[in-house]
Amino acid sequence: MPNKKSLHIESSGQLCIYCGACVGICPLNCIYLDETRITFDEQVCTRCEICVKGCPVGAIEIG
Amino acid sequence: MQDQKTDVLVIGGGPAGSMTAKWAATQGARVLMIEKRQEIGSPVRCGEGMSKEWLQDVGIRAGRWINLEVEGARIYSPREKVFEINEKHAGNEVGYVVERDEFDKQLAIDAANAGAEVKLKTAAVAILKEQGRVVGAKVKEFGQSYEIRAPITVGADGFESQVGRWAGLPTNIATRDMDTCLQYRMTNVDSDVRYCDFYLGKCAPGGYVWIFPKAEGVANVGIGVQVSQVKNPADARTYLDRWIEHHPGYAKGKKIDMVGGGVSIAPPLKQTVTDGFMIVGDAARMIDPLTGGGIANGCIAGKICGTVAAAAVHAGDPSKEFLQKYEKGWRARLEEKLYRNWLAKEKLVTLSDETFDKVIDALDGVRLEKLSVHNILKAVRDKYPEVTKEFEAFL
Repeated sequence: MPNKKSLHIESSGQLCIYCGACVGICPLNCIYLDETRITFDEQVCTRCEICVKGCPVGAIEIG
Repeated sequence: MQDQKTDVLVIGGGPAGSMTAKWAATQGARVLMIEKRQEIGSPVRCGEGMSKEWLQDVGIRAGRWINLEVEGARIYSPREKVFEINEKHAGNEVGYVVERDEFDKQLAIDAANAGAEVKLKTAAVAILKEQGRVVGAKVKEFGQSYEIRAPITVGADGFESQVGRWAGLPTNIATRDMDTCLQYRMTNVDSDVRYCDFYLGKCAPGGYVWIFPKAEGVANVGIGVQVSQVKNPADARTYLDRWIEHHPGYAKGKKIDMVGGGVSIAPPLKQTVTDGFMIVGDAARMIDPLTGGGIANGCIAGKICGTVAAAAVHAGDPSKEFLQKYEKGWRARLEEKLYRNWLAKEKLVTLSDETFDKVIDALDGVRLEKLSVHNILKAVRDKYPEVTKEFEAFL
Protein backbone atom coordinates (compact mmCIF):
# COMPACT_ATOMS: atom_id res chain seq x y z
CA MET A 1 0.00 0.00 0.00
CA PRO A 2 1.40 3.40 -0.90
CA ASN A 3 2.28 5.69 1.96
CA LYS A 4 -0.34 8.29 2.67
CA LYS A 5 0.74 11.90 2.63
CA SER A 6 1.39 13.27 6.05
CA LEU A 7 -1.32 15.34 7.58
CA HIS A 8 -0.82 18.34 9.75
CA ILE A 9 -3.28 20.73 11.24
CA GLU A 10 -1.74 23.72 12.85
CA SER A 11 -3.63 23.78 16.10
CA SER A 12 -1.17 25.30 18.49
CA GLY A 13 -3.12 28.53 18.28
CA GLN A 14 -0.80 30.20 15.80
CA LEU A 15 -3.08 29.69 12.79
CA CYS A 16 -6.15 27.62 13.71
CA ILE A 17 -9.10 29.70 14.97
CA TYR A 18 -11.19 26.60 15.89
CA CYS A 19 -14.11 27.69 13.71
CA GLY A 20 -15.13 24.20 12.59
CA ALA A 21 -15.35 24.95 8.86
CA CYS A 22 -13.17 21.88 8.15
CA VAL A 23 -15.41 19.68 10.30
CA GLY A 24 -18.48 20.70 8.33
CA ILE A 25 -16.99 20.14 4.92
CA CYS A 26 -15.08 16.87 5.47
CA PRO A 27 -16.86 14.32 3.26
CA LEU A 28 -15.74 11.45 5.49
CA ASN A 29 -16.62 12.97 8.83
CA CYS A 30 -13.10 12.38 10.11
CA ILE A 31 -12.24 15.77 11.63
CA TYR A 32 -13.18 16.53 15.24
CA LEU A 33 -13.33 19.89 16.97
CA ASP A 34 -13.21 19.76 20.75
CA GLU A 35 -13.11 23.29 22.13
CA THR A 36 -9.56 24.32 21.26
CA ARG A 37 -8.30 21.07 19.80
CA ILE A 38 -8.76 19.74 16.27
CA THR A 39 -8.01 16.11 15.51
CA PHE A 40 -8.13 13.94 12.39
CA ASP A 41 -8.92 10.27 12.17
CA GLU A 42 -5.79 9.36 10.22
CA GLN A 43 -7.17 5.94 9.31
CA VAL A 44 -10.26 7.34 7.64
CA CYS A 45 -8.79 10.45 5.99
CA THR A 46 -8.06 10.01 2.27
CA ARG A 47 -6.12 13.28 1.94
CA CYS A 48 -8.73 14.71 -0.43
CA GLU A 49 -7.65 18.20 0.68
CA ILE A 50 -11.17 19.63 0.71
CA CYS A 51 -10.58 20.81 4.27
CA VAL A 52 -7.48 22.69 3.10
CA LYS A 53 -9.73 24.76 0.81
CA GLY A 54 -12.49 25.13 3.38
CA CYS A 55 -10.18 26.55 6.06
CA PRO A 56 -10.54 30.36 6.02
CA VAL A 57 -7.09 30.96 7.47
CA GLY A 58 -4.93 28.27 5.84
CA ALA A 59 -4.23 26.29 8.99
CA ILE A 60 -4.29 22.84 7.39
CA GLU A 61 -1.32 21.43 5.54
CA ILE A 62 -1.12 18.15 3.69
CA GLY A 63 2.16 17.26 2.10
CA MET B 1 -23.25 8.77 35.73
CA GLN B 2 -26.67 7.11 35.55
CA ASP B 3 -28.48 6.76 32.26
CA GLN B 4 -31.38 9.16 31.80
CA LYS B 5 -34.76 9.23 30.12
CA THR B 6 -36.70 12.11 28.65
CA ASP B 7 -39.37 12.67 26.00
CA VAL B 8 -37.41 14.96 23.70
CA LEU B 9 -33.62 15.17 23.54
CA VAL B 10 -32.34 18.28 21.73
CA ILE B 11 -28.67 18.19 20.73
CA GLY B 12 -27.26 21.70 20.49
CA GLY B 13 -28.16 24.90 22.34
CA GLY B 14 -28.14 27.43 19.49
CA PRO B 15 -31.25 29.30 18.32
CA ALA B 16 -32.82 26.32 16.47
CA GLY B 17 -32.20 24.01 19.45
CA SER B 18 -33.57 26.45 22.02
CA MET B 19 -36.66 27.16 19.93
CA THR B 20 -37.31 23.45 19.51
CA ALA B 21 -36.84 22.89 23.26
CA LYS B 22 -39.07 25.83 24.18
CA TRP B 23 -41.97 24.84 21.95
CA ALA B 24 -41.81 21.14 22.86
CA ALA B 25 -41.77 22.02 26.58
CA THR B 26 -44.55 24.60 26.21
CA GLN B 27 -46.71 21.84 24.81
CA GLY B 28 -46.14 19.53 27.72
CA ALA B 29 -43.23 17.31 26.70
CA ARG B 30 -40.31 16.61 29.03
CA VAL B 31 -37.34 18.16 27.24
CA LEU B 32 -33.60 17.90 27.75
CA MET B 33 -31.34 20.18 25.70
CA ILE B 34 -27.60 19.47 25.73
CA GLU B 35 -24.85 21.92 24.76
CA LYS B 36 -21.25 20.82 24.38
CA ARG B 37 -19.79 24.16 25.43
CA GLN B 38 -19.75 25.64 28.91
CA GLU B 39 -21.60 28.73 27.75
CA ILE B 40 -24.64 29.13 25.49
CA GLY B 41 -23.94 31.57 22.64
CA SER B 42 -20.18 31.72 23.01
CA PRO B 43 -17.89 31.93 21.17
CA VAL B 44 -19.88 33.95 18.62
CA ARG B 45 -19.47 32.67 15.07
CA CYS B 46 -21.79 35.00 13.20
CA GLY B 47 -21.90 38.24 11.22
CA GLU B 48 -24.70 39.37 13.58
CA GLY B 49 -27.01 40.90 10.97
CA MET B 50 -30.59 39.65 10.75
CA SER B 51 -34.05 40.54 9.49
CA LYS B 52 -36.80 41.17 12.00
CA GLU B 53 -40.20 40.56 10.43
CA TRP B 54 -40.36 36.95 11.65
CA LEU B 55 -39.56 37.44 15.34
CA GLN B 56 -43.08 37.99 16.64
CA ASP B 57 -44.45 34.93 14.84
CA VAL B 58 -42.16 32.61 16.74
CA GLY B 59 -42.50 34.36 20.11
CA ILE B 60 -39.10 36.05 20.46
CA ARG B 61 -39.21 39.21 22.54
CA ALA B 62 -37.08 42.30 22.06
CA GLY B 63 -34.25 42.44 24.57
CA ARG B 64 -30.73 43.59 25.11
CA TRP B 65 -29.65 41.25 22.32
CA ILE B 66 -30.66 44.02 19.91
CA ASN B 67 -27.43 45.87 19.27
CA LEU B 68 -28.87 48.44 16.89
CA GLU B 69 -31.58 48.82 14.30
CA VAL B 70 -30.46 49.79 10.81
CA GLU B 71 -32.47 51.84 8.32
CA GLY B 72 -31.41 49.91 5.27
CA ALA B 73 -28.83 48.00 3.31
CA ARG B 74 -26.45 49.28 0.63
CA ILE B 75 -25.26 46.97 -2.10
CA TYR B 76 -22.02 47.97 -3.81
CA SER B 77 -21.02 46.78 -7.27
CA PRO B 78 -17.34 46.17 -8.12
CA ARG B 79 -16.97 49.75 -9.37
CA GLU B 80 -18.82 50.80 -6.26
CA LYS B 81 -22.06 51.92 -7.70
CA VAL B 82 -24.58 51.70 -4.90
CA PHE B 83 -28.07 50.33 -4.63
CA GLU B 84 -29.82 51.26 -1.44
CA ILE B 85 -32.51 49.05 0.02
CA ASN B 86 -34.52 50.79 2.68
CA GLU B 87 -37.41 49.87 4.88
CA LYS B 88 -39.93 51.39 2.45
CA HIS B 89 -39.47 48.80 -0.26
CA ALA B 90 -37.98 45.98 1.71
CA GLY B 91 -40.65 46.02 4.41
CA ASN B 92 -39.22 44.54 7.56
CA GLU B 93 -36.58 42.56 5.69
CA VAL B 94 -33.93 44.99 6.85
CA GLY B 95 -33.47 44.74 10.51
CA TYR B 96 -31.13 44.42 13.39
CA VAL B 97 -27.50 44.05 14.15
CA VAL B 98 -27.48 41.80 17.19
CA GLU B 99 -25.36 40.70 20.11
CA ARG B 100 -25.48 37.10 19.08
CA ASP B 101 -24.34 35.65 22.41
CA GLU B 102 -27.11 37.57 24.22
CA PHE B 103 -29.63 36.42 21.62
CA ASP B 104 -28.74 32.76 22.09
CA LYS B 105 -28.85 33.16 25.87
CA GLN B 106 -32.29 34.76 25.80
CA LEU B 107 -33.63 31.89 23.68
CA ALA B 108 -32.11 29.35 26.10
CA ILE B 109 -33.71 31.22 29.03
CA ASP B 110 -37.06 31.07 27.21
CA ALA B 111 -36.60 27.32 26.74
CA ALA B 112 -35.67 26.81 30.39
CA ASN B 113 -38.58 28.97 31.58
CA ALA B 114 -40.91 26.86 29.46
CA GLY B 115 -39.73 23.84 31.44
CA ALA B 116 -36.83 22.42 29.40
CA GLU B 117 -33.78 21.08 31.24
CA VAL B 118 -30.45 22.38 29.94
CA LYS B 119 -27.14 20.58 30.37
CA LEU B 120 -23.90 22.40 29.62
CA LYS B 121 -20.52 20.83 28.83
CA THR B 122 -22.45 17.83 27.52
CA ALA B 123 -21.59 16.55 24.04
CA ALA B 124 -23.33 13.86 22.02
CA VAL B 125 -20.74 11.26 21.01
CA ALA B 126 -23.02 8.74 19.29
CA ILE B 127 -26.64 8.18 18.33
CA LEU B 128 -28.43 5.23 19.94
CA LYS B 129 -30.41 3.08 17.53
CA GLU B 130 -32.70 0.11 18.07
CA GLN B 131 -34.20 -1.75 15.09
CA GLY B 132 -33.28 1.15 12.84
CA ARG B 133 -35.02 3.70 15.07
CA VAL B 134 -33.16 6.52 16.83
CA VAL B 135 -33.79 6.17 20.57
CA GLY B 136 -31.49 8.80 22.05
CA ALA B 137 -27.79 9.53 22.26
CA LYS B 138 -24.68 8.53 24.10
CA VAL B 139 -23.29 11.68 25.71
CA LYS B 140 -20.31 12.87 27.67
CA GLU B 141 -20.98 15.33 30.48
CA PHE B 142 -17.81 16.73 32.03
CA GLY B 143 -15.98 13.71 30.67
CA GLN B 144 -18.46 11.19 32.11
CA SER B 145 -20.19 8.95 29.57
CA TYR B 146 -23.81 7.88 29.86
CA GLU B 147 -26.92 7.40 27.74
CA ILE B 148 -29.93 9.64 27.34
CA ARG B 149 -32.92 7.75 25.98
CA ALA B 150 -35.80 9.57 24.33
CA PRO B 151 -38.51 8.65 21.82
CA ILE B 152 -37.66 11.87 19.94
CA THR B 153 -34.11 13.10 19.31
CA VAL B 154 -33.47 16.41 17.54
CA GLY B 155 -30.19 17.32 15.83
CA ALA B 156 -29.60 21.06 16.20
CA ASP B 157 -25.82 20.89 16.15
CA GLY B 158 -25.12 23.53 13.56
CA PHE B 159 -23.30 23.69 10.26
CA GLU B 160 -20.76 21.06 11.24
CA SER B 161 -23.52 18.64 12.25
CA GLN B 162 -22.38 15.16 13.14
CA VAL B 163 -25.59 13.78 14.57
CA GLY B 164 -27.44 14.03 11.25
CA ARG B 165 -24.90 11.73 9.67
CA TRP B 166 -24.95 9.41 12.66
CA ALA B 167 -28.74 9.20 12.41
CA GLY B 168 -28.38 8.17 8.77
CA LEU B 169 -29.36 11.36 6.94
CA PRO B 170 -27.12 12.35 4.01
CA THR B 171 -25.75 15.71 5.16
CA ASN B 172 -22.56 15.77 3.09
CA ILE B 173 -21.84 19.04 1.37
CA ALA B 174 -19.94 19.80 -1.86
CA THR B 175 -17.30 22.52 -2.08
CA ARG B 176 -19.52 24.54 -4.41
CA ASP B 177 -22.27 24.48 -1.80
CA MET B 178 -20.25 26.07 0.98
CA ASP B 179 -18.67 29.44 1.67
CA THR B 180 -15.63 29.72 3.90
CA CYS B 181 -15.98 32.83 6.05
CA LEU B 182 -13.79 35.14 8.09
CA GLN B 183 -14.72 38.28 9.94
CA TYR B 184 -12.93 40.93 11.96
CA ARG B 185 -14.50 43.19 14.53
CA MET B 186 -12.88 46.49 13.65
CA THR B 187 -12.77 49.80 15.43
CA ASN B 188 -11.92 53.29 14.17
CA VAL B 189 -13.59 52.56 10.80
CA ASP B 190 -15.91 54.69 8.62
CA SER B 191 -18.94 52.39 8.83
CA ASP B 192 -22.39 53.99 9.01
CA VAL B 193 -24.68 52.90 11.86
CA ARG B 194 -27.69 53.42 9.58
CA TYR B 195 -26.69 50.75 7.07
CA CYS B 196 -25.53 47.20 6.59
CA ASP B 197 -23.24 47.23 3.55
CA PHE B 198 -22.60 44.46 1.03
CA TYR B 199 -19.82 44.43 -1.60
CA LEU B 200 -20.28 42.09 -4.55
CA GLY B 201 -18.02 40.78 -7.31
CA LYS B 202 -14.54 39.38 -7.60
CA CYS B 203 -13.54 40.92 -4.26
CA ALA B 204 -15.30 37.84 -2.82
CA PRO B 205 -15.73 35.07 -5.42
CA GLY B 206 -19.00 33.24 -4.85
CA GLY B 207 -19.80 35.34 -1.80
CA TYR B 208 -19.61 38.93 -0.62
CA VAL B 209 -17.91 41.30 1.79
CA TRP B 210 -20.18 42.58 4.57
CA ILE B 211 -20.00 45.53 6.92
CA PHE B 212 -22.43 45.30 9.83
CA PRO B 213 -22.17 48.30 12.17
CA LYS B 214 -21.91 47.57 15.90
CA ALA B 215 -21.56 51.16 17.14
CA GLU B 216 -20.25 54.50 15.90
CA GLY B 217 -16.89 53.64 14.28
CA VAL B 218 -17.13 49.93 15.14
CA ALA B 219 -18.24 47.21 12.70
CA ASN B 220 -18.12 43.53 11.84
CA VAL B 221 -16.15 43.38 8.58
CA GLY B 222 -16.39 39.94 7.04
CA ILE B 223 -16.19 37.87 3.90
CA GLY B 224 -17.56 34.64 2.47
CA VAL B 225 -15.80 32.88 -0.42
CA GLN B 226 -17.24 29.86 -2.24
CA VAL B 227 -14.96 26.94 -1.39
CA SER B 228 -14.93 25.68 -5.01
CA GLN B 229 -13.47 29.05 -6.04
CA VAL B 230 -10.66 28.94 -3.47
CA LYS B 231 -7.31 28.82 -5.28
CA ASN B 232 -4.92 28.91 -2.36
CA PRO B 233 -5.11 28.07 1.33
CA ALA B 234 -6.34 31.02 3.41
CA ASP B 235 -7.98 32.73 0.43
CA ALA B 236 -10.79 33.99 2.66
CA ARG B 237 -8.27 35.87 4.77
CA THR B 238 -6.28 37.01 1.74
CA TYR B 239 -9.38 38.42 -0.01
CA LEU B 240 -10.64 40.11 3.16
CA ASP B 241 -7.28 41.68 3.94
CA ARG B 242 -7.02 42.89 0.33
CA TRP B 243 -10.49 44.43 0.47
CA ILE B 244 -9.64 46.26 3.69
CA GLU B 245 -6.32 47.45 2.25
CA HIS B 246 -8.17 48.97 -0.75
CA HIS B 247 -10.70 50.83 1.39
CA PRO B 248 -9.05 53.67 3.31
CA GLY B 249 -12.05 54.03 5.64
CA TYR B 250 -11.28 50.51 6.86
CA ALA B 251 -7.54 50.25 6.25
CA LYS B 252 -7.03 52.82 9.02
CA GLY B 253 -9.06 50.68 11.43
CA LYS B 254 -7.86 48.27 14.06
CA LYS B 255 -8.92 44.65 14.48
CA ILE B 256 -10.10 43.65 17.91
CA ASP B 257 -11.68 40.26 17.28
CA MET B 258 -11.72 37.53 14.64
CA VAL B 259 -14.20 34.77 13.89
CA GLY B 260 -14.42 32.19 11.13
CA GLY B 261 -16.65 29.40 10.00
CA GLY B 262 -18.48 27.63 7.23
CA VAL B 263 -21.84 28.56 5.75
CA SER B 264 -23.87 26.33 3.46
CA ILE B 265 -25.19 27.86 0.23
CA ALA B 266 -26.94 24.65 -0.80
CA PRO B 267 -30.58 23.83 -1.26
CA PRO B 268 -32.00 22.34 1.96
CA LEU B 269 -31.67 18.65 2.81
CA LYS B 270 -34.00 16.36 0.88
CA GLN B 271 -34.92 14.53 4.06
CA THR B 272 -34.98 15.96 7.59
CA VAL B 273 -36.70 13.19 9.55
CA THR B 274 -36.20 9.52 10.19
CA ASP B 275 -37.70 7.22 12.80
CA GLY B 276 -37.34 8.97 16.17
CA PHE B 277 -35.22 11.80 14.75
CA MET B 278 -35.52 15.30 13.30
CA ILE B 279 -32.82 17.72 12.16
CA VAL B 280 -33.21 21.51 12.29
CA GLY B 281 -31.46 24.80 11.56
CA ASP B 282 -27.99 25.12 10.02
CA ALA B 283 -27.55 21.35 10.51
CA ALA B 284 -30.46 20.83 8.08
CA ARG B 285 -28.95 23.32 5.58
CA MET B 286 -31.76 25.79 6.23
CA ILE B 287 -29.32 28.70 5.81
CA ASP B 288 -30.53 31.13 3.14
CA PRO B 289 -28.21 30.30 0.20
CA LEU B 290 -28.28 33.90 -1.06
CA THR B 291 -27.60 35.81 2.15
CA GLY B 292 -25.96 33.16 4.31
CA GLY B 293 -28.37 34.00 7.12
CA GLY B 294 -29.44 31.04 9.24
CA ILE B 295 -31.03 32.43 12.40
CA ALA B 296 -34.55 33.25 11.16
CA ASN B 297 -35.06 29.98 9.32
CA GLY B 298 -33.60 27.98 12.22
CA CYS B 299 -35.99 29.63 14.67
CA ILE B 300 -39.04 29.30 12.42
CA ALA B 301 -38.30 25.61 11.77
CA GLY B 302 -37.45 25.14 15.47
CA LYS B 303 -40.93 26.19 16.51
CA ILE B 304 -42.46 23.69 14.08
CA CYS B 305 -40.00 20.99 15.17
CA GLY B 306 -40.76 21.47 18.88
CA THR B 307 -44.50 21.46 18.27
CA VAL B 308 -44.34 18.24 16.25
CA ALA B 309 -41.98 16.66 18.82
CA ALA B 310 -44.52 17.26 21.60
CA ALA B 311 -47.37 15.99 19.44
CA ALA B 312 -45.41 12.80 18.65
CA VAL B 313 -44.78 12.25 22.35
CA HIS B 314 -48.45 12.72 23.23
CA ALA B 315 -49.49 10.43 20.39
CA GLY B 316 -46.91 7.83 21.44
CA ASP B 317 -45.79 7.73 17.81
CA PRO B 318 -42.21 8.76 16.98
CA SER B 319 -42.29 7.11 13.54
CA LYS B 320 -40.99 8.97 10.54
CA GLU B 321 -44.51 8.88 9.14
CA PHE B 322 -45.73 10.94 12.10
CA LEU B 323 -42.70 13.24 11.92
CA GLN B 324 -43.64 14.09 8.32
CA LYS B 325 -45.74 16.81 9.96
CA TYR B 326 -42.45 18.59 10.65
CA GLU B 327 -41.00 17.83 7.23
CA LYS B 328 -44.11 19.19 5.51
CA GLY B 329 -44.57 22.07 7.96
CA TRP B 330 -41.15 23.65 7.61
CA ARG B 331 -41.07 23.10 3.85
CA ALA B 332 -44.46 24.83 3.45
CA ARG B 333 -43.11 27.79 5.40
CA LEU B 334 -39.55 28.09 4.06
CA GLU B 335 -38.77 25.92 1.08
CA GLU B 336 -40.05 28.07 -1.78
CA LYS B 337 -37.90 31.03 -0.76
CA LEU B 338 -34.90 28.82 -0.06
CA TYR B 339 -35.07 27.39 -3.59
CA ARG B 340 -35.74 30.76 -5.19
CA ASN B 341 -32.75 32.28 -3.43
CA TRP B 342 -30.64 29.24 -4.23
CA LEU B 343 -31.41 29.70 -7.95
CA ALA B 344 -30.60 33.42 -7.73
CA LYS B 345 -27.32 32.62 -5.98
CA GLU B 346 -26.43 30.00 -8.59
CA LYS B 347 -26.75 32.76 -11.19
CA LEU B 348 -24.99 35.46 -9.18
CA VAL B 349 -21.85 33.39 -8.59
CA THR B 350 -21.34 33.22 -12.37
CA LEU B 351 -21.64 36.97 -13.06
CA SER B 352 -18.72 39.07 -14.22
CA ASP B 353 -17.81 42.28 -12.42
CA GLU B 354 -19.02 44.14 -15.50
CA THR B 355 -22.48 42.61 -15.25
CA PHE B 356 -22.67 43.36 -11.52
CA ASP B 357 -21.86 46.99 -12.33
CA LYS B 358 -24.62 47.17 -14.92
CA VAL B 359 -27.19 45.58 -12.64
CA ILE B 360 -26.48 47.93 -9.76
CA ASP B 361 -26.19 50.94 -12.09
CA ALA B 362 -29.61 50.15 -13.58
CA LEU B 363 -31.12 50.25 -10.10
CA ASP B 364 -29.53 53.57 -9.22
CA GLY B 365 -32.28 56.14 -8.84
CA VAL B 366 -35.03 53.65 -9.66
CA ARG B 367 -37.88 53.63 -7.20
CA LEU B 368 -38.91 50.07 -6.63
CA GLU B 369 -42.32 49.60 -5.09
CA LYS B 370 -41.38 46.28 -3.66
CA LEU B 371 -38.00 44.60 -3.59
CA SER B 372 -38.13 41.35 -5.50
CA VAL B 373 -35.90 39.56 -7.97
CA HIS B 374 -38.62 40.13 -10.57
CA ASN B 375 -38.79 43.91 -10.00
CA ILE B 376 -35.01 44.22 -9.97
CA LEU B 377 -34.73 42.43 -13.28
CA LYS B 378 -37.43 44.57 -14.85
CA ALA B 379 -35.47 47.68 -13.91
CA VAL B 380 -32.30 46.16 -15.36
CA ARG B 381 -34.10 45.25 -18.59
CA ASP B 382 -35.14 48.86 -19.11
CA LYS B 383 -31.57 50.09 -19.05
CA TYR B 384 -29.41 47.15 -20.12
CA PRO B 385 -31.66 44.74 -22.09
CA GLU B 386 -28.66 42.62 -23.07
CA VAL B 387 -27.90 41.84 -19.44
CA THR B 388 -31.33 40.37 -18.72
CA LYS B 389 -30.76 37.71 -21.40
CA GLU B 390 -28.82 35.88 -18.72
CA PHE B 391 -31.82 36.02 -16.40
CA GLU B 392 -34.72 35.06 -18.65
CA ALA B 393 -35.63 32.23 -16.32
CA PHE B 394 -36.38 34.67 -13.50
CA LEU B 395 -38.58 37.06 -15.46
